[in-house]
Amino acid sequence: MKKTGLTIAAALAGALLGSPALAQKTVLTVGMQSTDAGVLDPHLNSGTPGKAMLQWMFNGLVRIKPGELSPEFMEPDLAESWTSSTDSKEWTFKLRQGVQCHHGYGEFTSEDAVYSLARAASKETSAFSSDYAAFDKVEAPDKYTVKITLKQAIPSLLGIVMNYHGGNMVCKKAAEELGKEGFAKKPVGTGPFMFQEYVPQQYAKLVANPNYFRGKPKLTEILYRFIPSDSSRDLAFQSGEIDMMLGRQEQAWVDRMNALPGVKVVAMGPAEMSMLHLNMSQPPLDNLKVRQAIAYAVDRNAIWQFRGKNISRPAVSVVPSGYLGTDEKAPLYPFDLAKSKALLAEAGFPNGVTIKAINTTLPSMLSFTEATQALLKRAGITLEIQPVEHATFHQQIRQDLSQVVHFQAARFPIADVYLSQFFHSRAIVKTPTAVTNFSHCKVADAEIDAARSETDKAKQLALWKTAQEKIIKEVCAIPVNEMMQLWAYKDSLDLGYDLKASLNLGPPVLETTRFTK
Amino acid sequence: MGAFLVKRLGFAVVTLWAVLSLVFVVVRIVPGDPAQVILGDQADATAIAAMRTRLGLDAPLIEQYWTFLSGAIRGDWGVSLVTGRPVIQEILAVLPWTLELTVVSMLIGVAIGVPLGVWAAINRNRMPDYVTRIASLLGLSFPPFVSAIILLILFAIMLRWFPVISARSGSASAWFQSMALPALNLGLIMAAYITRVARSAMLEVMQEDYVRSARAKGVPWRVVVWRHALSNALIPVITIVGLYLGILIGNSVLTEIVFNRPGLGKLIVGALNQRDYTMLQGMMVIYTLIVVLVNIATDLTYALVDPRVKLS
Repeated sequence: MKKTGLTIAAALAGALLGSPALAQKTVLTVGMQSTDAGVLDPHLNSGTPGKAMLQWMFNGLVRIKPGELSPEFMEPDLAESWTSSTDSKEWTFKLRQGVQCHHGYGEFTSEDAVYSLARAASKETSAFSSDYAAFDKVEAPDKYTVKITLKQAIPSLLGIVMNYHGGNMVCKKAAEELGKEGFAKKPVGTGPFMFQEYVPQQYAKLVANPNYFRGKPKLTEILYRFIPSDSSRDLAFQSGEIDMMLGRQEQAWVDRMNALPGVKVVAMGPAEMSMLHLNMSQPPLDNLKVRQAIAYAVDRNAIWQFRGKNISRPAVSVVPSGYLGTDEKAPLYPFDLAKSKALLAEAGFPNGVTIKAINTTLPSMLSFTEATQALLKRAGITLEIQPVEHATFHQQIRQDLSQVVHFQAARFPIADVYLSQFFHSRAIVKTPTAVTNFSHCKVADAEIDAARSETDKAKQLALWKTAQEKIIKEVCAIPVNEMMQLWAYKDSLDLGYDLKASLNLGPPVLETTRFTK
Repeated sequence: MGAFLVKRLGFAVVTLWAVLSLVFVVVRIVPGDPAQVILGDQADATAIAAMRTRLGLDAPLIEQYWTFLSGAIRGDWGVSLVTGRPVIQEILAVLPWTLELTVVSMLIGVAIGVPLGVWAAINRNRMPDYVTRIASLLGLSFPPFVSAIILLILFAIMLRWFPVISARSGSASAWFQSMALPALNLGLIMAAYITRVARSAMLEVMQEDYVRSARAKGVPWRVVVWRHALSNALIPVITIVGLYLGILIGNSVLTEIVFNRPGLGKLIVGALNQRDYTMLQGMMVIYTLIVVLVNIATDLTYALVDPRVKLS
């Protein structure tokens, strides 16, 4: 009798243990390629490891639908609705009521939103202050209304009040009480997960926010591990110690991960576009024919094959594909070796030219430039590569020391950002307003400026299109291809949405994200 | 003994000052702008200039040097340019991890290297000698990050005995689990060095007159080897242990990264990439301090092992 009882008990225990309800995982462990996440203040952190994590803790007034990239998918976040004046200079946001700040800091109201935007616009407290230069005033007419008045219309007001960079909403009481340094150690937001612990070089631990306004998250915890070595991250993923990880931008990596059972690999946006910026202020690149010869010599398809078909795609314009305002059918120079050679001869260089490129030693960026070097050689163009360490590269290209700059970047997906930063004369390197105009391009200033404050959407798109055409024609830069962000995760993880892109460079983890087993 | 220590510590202070000044100059000569790294790609020149002012990087070099040196004397090494946390706090948080790994791997190195070296020496030009020499050569020529990956694939992925991510959590078994592979990886390199030194030192000592006379007097072979010869052969071994401790700390950079252990190695790689000047300066103080202290400890150990050595 006793034996039978034990058998039944054992069977029952076995059944219970085997049931999905008990076995379900609720802790998500993420592996990031870094030794640290940097400063944890959303208004100061611009690095991939920090951004990917901070998005799980913070909301904006609005957000782009999870998994999407284009601003056309903008939807409510902390604001339920919004309106703008006809000249797009006055914006009014109605906030959700009852949203709670993490760790008992009280209800999130318009006062917090006004405080957050002032904080994001201040050079002292934000790395993104220049995004808010057009702000005239931000007011809180009542507890749940935020009114933003602009000095002039800008291409996307919603883009700078969304859950990205300075648009992340912080809780005033917490930020004031903890101070700038304290807040950077213990960030307080309103998102689905709350900060709990940070162990330098090891991990950051976030826990579910039980009061999250969209509902209590299904995951109980996110363990965000810093694993800088690519091989170790792969092995930890393979051994089951991490559930989701940032991959390396190599086709071989994708193939290897796809061969593992129970793994999902996603090549997501925003794609980083590789572009060769040609310094038009120096000979021989001050000669349009030489620049055109280079453009004709670059075989986009060959480079696409070289970098991996599943993880990259050929560029379509001088603005990455999928951005608001990208001319997807821009008249890029096609690959034509004969034409390239003829143009060089016409320009007075029948024996070819030699140009110099300072290049980062980051393997994927260096191998791209080396492949381009091989392509250009066939046209008689010698590209001398000077590899330097990454931080040195960034400094030297801004000192105007390189004739050709290979820059690989993604930006907020509106044509204006790419055009203003890379091709407007204000952004020319070594000037007081310099950003990343390495080519000294200034052919489309009028169109870029006019489009910034154009409120008629069709006219704005037309201006951006003309700007792109002019830049391509002048060959300020040669867009080559776009590299996707690679992530792998267990297929038992249901993100709760279709992951196509994430502006914050890491997959959003939502209140609905869960493990299916 | 006291006078020896005072003299050595005085020497240490001068060494520290020289290293600090050198590091101060070097990190500023190396191209790369911390303000640019902190603010990222999209920052404009005005924002970068403002950040440089905030970090104090636009002050004259001599003023920066004075601020840094006077701070260092007061024990204030500033805050990390990147994270904003005090440098000393960041270093102390990970220092125990590196020290612990270094000490355990050194013990493994000594435990394997000394007996192997002795074994090879007393079997000179016979099979054990050949095997040991080949093994130590292999150990010396194997890059530590390659051996680390092999250990991980073998013990963490195939056998599943240890975790890939080495980080302890309280219990003794967790500590062992997290320590075993990284310590073994470094310990084997150390063992390779020690084996070679122990072997040649032993060979030399074994040809000394006192060994020959001990053997002639009929002292048992085992006693001759372990008591008479080894105690004298240990001096070069101690020197090498002291010297290679620096190399071990250097190798720990790669080991820490591959095994994902916190430590000085990971910290210095991050600081270098981000041009975190203050952090680099703080780290160099620590590295120099460790090397200087280990040197003093090595000298003290000589005296313990060999009474003929006088500390003066």
